[in-house]
Amino acid sequence: MGVTQLAKFGTLEREERFKNPPKNKKELYPLLRDAVAPHVGSFNALTEGIDGGLLNLAVKDIGSKTIFDSNDSDRLGNKLSIRVESVQIAKPAVPQNDKLSLNRKTLPSECRERMNSYRSRLMLKVSWSVNDGEEVSEVREAGQIPIMLKSNRCHLENMSPYELVEHREESDELGGYFIVNGIEKLIRLLIVQRRNHPMAIIRPSFSNRGTSYTKYGIQIRCVRPDQTSQTNVLHYLSDGNVTFRFSWKKNEYLVPVVMILKALIETNDREIFDGIVGADTTNSFLTDRLELLLRSYKQYNLYSKQETLAYLGDKFRIVFGATPDVSDIDVGKEVLRRIVLVHLDKSSDKFRMLLFMIRKLYSLVAGDCSPDNPDATQHQEVLLGGFLYGMIIKEKIDEYLQNIKLQIQSDINRGVAVNFNDRKYMSRVFLRINENIGQKLQYFLSTGNLVSQSGLDLQQVSGYTVVAEKINFHRFISHFRMVHRGSFFAELKTTTVRKLLPESWGFLCPVHTPDGSPCGLLNHLAHKCKISTVASDVSKVPAALAQLGISPANSFAAGPSLSCVQLDGKIVGWTTHEQAKIVADTLRFWKVEGTHGLPLDLEIGYVPPSSKGQYPGLFLFGGAARMMRPVKYLPLGKEDILGPFEQVYMNVAVVPREIENNIHTHVEFSPTNILSILANLTPFSDFNQSPRNMYQCQMGKQTMGTPGVALAHRSDNKLYRLQSGQTPIVKANLYDEYGMDNFPNGTNAVVAVISYTGYDMDDAMIINKSADERGFGYGTVYKVEKVDLSQSRRRGDPIAQHIGFGPDEWPEVWKEKLDSDGLPTIGVKVEEGDPILAYYDDTLGKTKVKTYHSSEPAYIEEVKLLGDDNGDQECQQLTIKYRITRQPLIGDKFSSRHGQKGVCSRKWPQIDMPFSETGIQPDVIINPHAFPSRMTIGMFVESLAGKAGALHGIAQDSTPWKFSEDDTPADYFGEQLLKSGYNYHGNEPMYSGATGEELRADIYIGVVYYQRLRHMVNDKFQVRSTGPVNSLTMQPVKGRKRSGGIRVGEMERDALIGHGTAFLLQDRLLNCSDYTQTPICRSCGSLLNTQTSVPRIGTSASVRCRRCATKLESYTQKAQYVSESDIWEDGQGKKFVGGDNTTSVAIPFVLKYLDSELAAMGIRMRYNVVPQ
Amino acid sequence: MSSPQREGFSAPSSLSHAAHGQITSKTLGIKYNCAQCGSSFQLSRSDAIRCKECGHRVLYKARTRRMVQFEAR
Repeated sequence: MGVTQLAKFGTLEREERFKNPPKNKKELYPLLRDAVAPHVGSFNALTEGIDGGLLNLAVKDIGSKTIFDSNDSDRLGNKLSIRVESVQIAKPAVPQNDKLSLNRKTLPSECRERMNSYRSRLMLKVSWSVNDGEEVSEVREAGQIPIMLKSNRCHLENMSPYELVEHREESDELGGYFIVNGIEKLIRLLIVQRRNHPMAIIRPSFSNRGTSYTKYGIQIRCVRPDQTSQTNVLHYLSDGNVTFRFSWKKNEYLVPVVMILKALIETNDREIFDGIVGADTTNSFLTDRLELLLRSYKQYNLYSKQETLAYLGDKFRIVFGATPDVSDIDVGKEVLRRIVLVHLDKSSDKFRMLLFMIRKLYSLVAGDCSPDNPDATQHQEVLLGGFLYGMIIKEKIDEYLQNIKLQIQSDINRGVAVNFNDRKYMSRVFLRINENIGQKLQYFLSTGNLVSQSGLDLQQVSGYTVVAEKINFHRFISHFRMVHRGSFFAELKTTTVRKLLPESWGFLCPVHTPDGSPCGLLNHLAHKCKISTVASDVSKVPAALAQLGISPANSFAAGPSLSCVQLDGKIVGWTTHEQAKIVADTLRFWKVEGTHGLPLDLEIGYVPPSSKGQYPGLFLFGGAARMMRPVKYLPLGKEDILGPFEQVYMNVAVVPREIENNIHTHVEFSPTNILSILANLTPFSDFNQSPRNMYQCQMGKQTMGTPGVALAHRSDNKLYRLQSGQTPIVKANLYDEYGMDNFPNGTNAVVAVISYTGYDMDDAMIINKSADERGFGYGTVYKVEKVDLSQSRRRGDPIAQHIGFGPDEWPEVWKEKLDSDGLPTIGVKVEEGDPILAYYDDTLGKTKVKTYHSSEPAYIEEVKLLGDDNGDQECQQLTIKYRITRQPLIGDKFSSRHGQKGVCSRKWPQIDMPFSETGIQPDVIINPHAFPSRMTIGMFVESLAGKAGALHGIAQDSTPWKFSEDDTPADYFGEQLLKSGYNYHGNEPMYSGATGEELRADIYIGVVYYQRLRHMVNDKFQVRSTGPVNSLTMQPVKGRKRSGGIRVGEMERDALIGHGTAFLLQDRLLNCSDYTQTPICRSCGSLLNTQTSVPRIGTSASVRCRRCATKLESYTQKAQYVSESDIWEDGQGKKFVGGDNTTSVAIPFVLKYLDSELAAMGIRMRYNVVPQ
Repeated sequence: MSSPQREGFSAPSSLSHAAHGQITSKTLGIKYNCAQCGSSFQLSRSDAIRCKECGHRVLYKARTRRMVQFEAR
């Protein structure tokens, strides 16, 4: 390897750090902070940054609402303009009427324990003016909104590890999530179209929009400064015309594009023609279509800008809810401001950009440029949680103002005295509308459902939030790096969106995606991939461009023959293609150099001219929400930040040795940068078959590991914990950099690859019984039950159920588990049916208990009494934490870190385990057949490295791509083994534990890190002989919870038939199911008409067929003699004769059910019964 | 499906146990600890769930101070 050993155990340092968490704020794991930075950063951007953060930009964009107080249509009356001037978010605190709390801050740990939300007050400064007079303002509280942990609104933001521990958090708490009703939730990252870049799209569904619509379109997702977006689409019509499409409040609108152009600036057809065609007048395809475009617009008879604006304003007056005092022209301007290319504020910029888009559309149609792939990372960015949160808040504030308007309007309509100058009236309006925005956000976070008027320019309405499950640290950290493609694509039949594209190199991990339905849709960010949460400062870019000789934007230029220079979707100039290449290279040199005021993360996407390739140009991006990653810039040997748009046209060497002169400009800092955090932790993953690494990424997240160390202060419903976690001997250097040792996920085990007892067949593994007794894989499950006595009580009623024993008589055995306060003793063992809580019910005058409902015995770990919100009531709520011991059992699942999972099949006694010459006996035995087909050579290497590491007492670095053909790990670790007196290849002669004879083959034995997976038999086993049945069919119910059966379905039945196992089949389908013995009438063959007669004195009850019997009266009327012994009687005292030809048969009960169903339809079933 | 486990907590019952003589201390009240400041106090049945020191609203029930005997098997 020749590389310095970086991996180390650092046991003492770690112990010291746990004993004395540092009091300074120096971060030990900056990488971990970076991992959640997209979440925290985007949330911080809401309240900090230019102009007071995104929320304040948002309320500026909303503007003011106007209401007139007159009821008659002739005059308008007094004008009220109302707006939200600014938004503030406080820090979480106890309610203001709380006088008892010494600490007025609400901390996250309290919210987790009390199962409420970590939230703080949202304050809106509402300002209004009457008849454009002086503005009056009032700060309104709009409820409490959930706050992201470790954000700038959180108390934990700048705490040192020591303080965090003081406040019952992990010493390295990351934040980035919310606490809603005690559950940790996070907003998941979503892939959306790259902002402010027009994308050429060929989509067959475009032609469904109407006649003459074609599949060609140009789509641009424009983002306002407050991060809300508006998508504009240009459609190509088959006659050459172009329409502009947008959606507003979930409705779609189509406008001829020339109308938009003419409304934007005072222009003429010549200018439009020149702006699209430029010098390319010989292109008859283009000129023909342009002529048609301009000619067909003549029918509107709109010539000047004012005329066009007025026309637009007239059409959109209702949609935009404009008040009568606003002129049509102003409404038209509002439409352009809110809809058309909203990322630009100057109309001339919008005009030029539209012309560019039209030209790109014509090029697409002509086949001069290719469509852009919306599934490629090149045209994607990430919708960040904080930004989405801000978008929702913006929309709710808008709704809030609208509600005020509606409330006043209804007052006017109902004839209530409306006086805008009266503050009392205004406060009455405020009181009568729903001001609780916080509640709506809480709903959003707890359900993930988006309730929105506008749809927020997003494709889905649900699935925005996920629970940040703390099963182990791997799973927890992965949540923050997860990017979803959008649930819309999950239903798509085509698999193209799921494909792994080369464009995502270094941004999305190629390994870390689940298999199954979300495969390829749910990706994880590569561990070095960052997402910008603030727009970079691009103010110096135009000057730098000018210095490089770019002609200005208003120069006579158009089309792909020249290179259009755009900065964040704004045309800043034109240049030749040759020059553009030089400009791009120079800009890059400057920005890495740090001169000319260029930001390092400026994305310089130079698209060269090509034959029918992507539309050329020089596209610069500096906005937020872009993915980016660090690579080394070769000319300066310094770090450069790459984005997915530019990367496609760049040459980045993966390793230094492949750098070629005049080809590569960049080199990766490390090839492992393309992998996600989890994929990086798989040791020697470059030796494994690739799907195995994917499996490990899944299984790492299902491991029973260490969710955290502040477990006593958490109240998760279910928590898994491995008692004997160790640091792996074989670990990648990144393992330490991410501080994974704080949350160990498995145990180092001595593994022998041998077919030993037969109990290791088919992915089963044998565990050394003594290893088990020493604590190998020993785990615990913590379950929390919340008891709320006030739940059955209605609001306002007095408390009727008091925790504790009452004065009445109650069983003394309750005292075995419960203390005199009615709560369980800490540490007591409870089994099913044991009391866990005693309470005295006032209304019944009786002491009652709640019982433990689980077949698994548990120990009471903690009892927490939870105060109510006001803090003046006696105890009504409490949580009980149970500890369920889970020592490894036969049937529990284990896995190595190479996608090699297996089930424990036996705990083999140590004396019978094979032993090596040094007397070492394996902890785990696995079968050699687990390897040939799966090709997880990495596991062999890990075994070798682990063995050598254990012998020398060193940690081994398992970072992938460190070895080569000439420098193999087998040699490197073999030498180490040799030095400590072991076989070079890792094989050892072993002796049978049973006979003591030497085994004929040398056995591969080494140390492998084993994970215990959370799938355990105790949660899964399902057995039943008899049990609950469905009352209608008498067949066994289904479901493990109800102790039901497992269905023997059609295919299982087929297999049994195929085997000819008739008795087994009958046993499964009849005897163990709904076997019934039922009486049947032999004469009429009816199942349903038989009944038992009422026994008379001297005789026993008999089964008779009522259908075949005759009533005694009618029988005697025919004057026939009846023997008294032939008469039988039914339950109602009616007497019958005959119908005694009955017998008993065995049938499945459903047959009876079928018969009665048929009988209800008037169909009789007749069974011919003959003796066998 | 539970494996044979050691006996859980049981209050010493027979006179032969070493616990004999400790029974008098059984009247020790049950204490509660504040989740925030850690102070320990007793609580009567009708008391509000507040820490008597700092007013915090989460209390942990404390482990018993009685002698607890486990049978090690």
